[in-house]
Amino acid sequence: MTEPVRGVAPTRNGGVTVNLSVRERDLLRTLPDQLRPLVAGEETAPSVAPRLYSRGYDDDGLNAEYQELVHDDVVRQRTAALDTFAATLDQGGVTRGRWRVELDAEQAAAWLSAVNDGRLVLGALLDITDESAWEDGPDEDNPASVVMYYLGWLQEELVGALMAALPDE
Amino acid sequence: MASAPLIVPERTESTDDVSELDQVWNVIVWNDPVTLMSYVVFVLRKLFGHDEATATKLMLQVHHEGRAVVASGPREKAESDVARLHAHGLQATLARD
Repeated sequence: MTEPVRGVAPTRNGGVTVNLSVRERDLLRTLPDQLRPLVAGEETAPSVAPRLYSRGYDDDGLNAEYQELVHDDVVRQRTAALDTFAATLDQGGVTRGRWRVELDAEQAAAWLSAVNDGRLVLGALLDITDESAWEDGPDEDNPASVVMYYLGWLQEELVGALMAALPDE
Repeated sequence: MASAPLIVPERTESTDDVSELDQVWNVIVWNDPVTLMSYVVFVLRKLFGHDEATATKLMLQVHHEGRAVVASGPREKAESDVARLHAHGLQATLARD
């Protein structure tokens, strides 16, 4: 038997298997409570809100009308994904310090959404306004920067596994 | 799934302006410095059914030119596409062609 590879692998039913250290899972467990108020719009930070939620139109009037129609639905989808992400972090099993959980397609999509929202929030907190910010790699003295890069790795893993399930026509 | 289309309520105001109804609206995705390129490719494939080469080409256009038109159609369809992109955390707007 070979040791399972750390990361995210596709399953046959369109879902994924996540294999992380317990330490990584414990880090991820800290995210939902920090993200929820921002994603739900209960706490607003001027730099965070526009990164999480895009305008729909350049025109202010049309944008206001659009937001009135769909913003609550968009928020609901994103907070529901965060709740699913949080719930699955309490599932799965631990063997010799490794945590493994199987996610169905919907749960995997929820992970992708939550991890993406985490990166958008951290991008605002770290004031990343230009792609050149990525040239230097993580700032090991700044936990937010380290988590940002970690979530980038995890998101690449999720995208890679979920991309495999998409039909290529 | 999170990809389920949003239910966009019907607009209450009616318009007699036929040219308005015929108008083509573009769905535009904007570059941002945080979102991963692979994630943009994934979302474009998932939402619009683009093959990998088409989605990658559009993503690179967003990356290099700052924006790309990823879909076009009647206003309601374009607005629903934009809402689905917003549900996935991308920066996207719609505008008249």
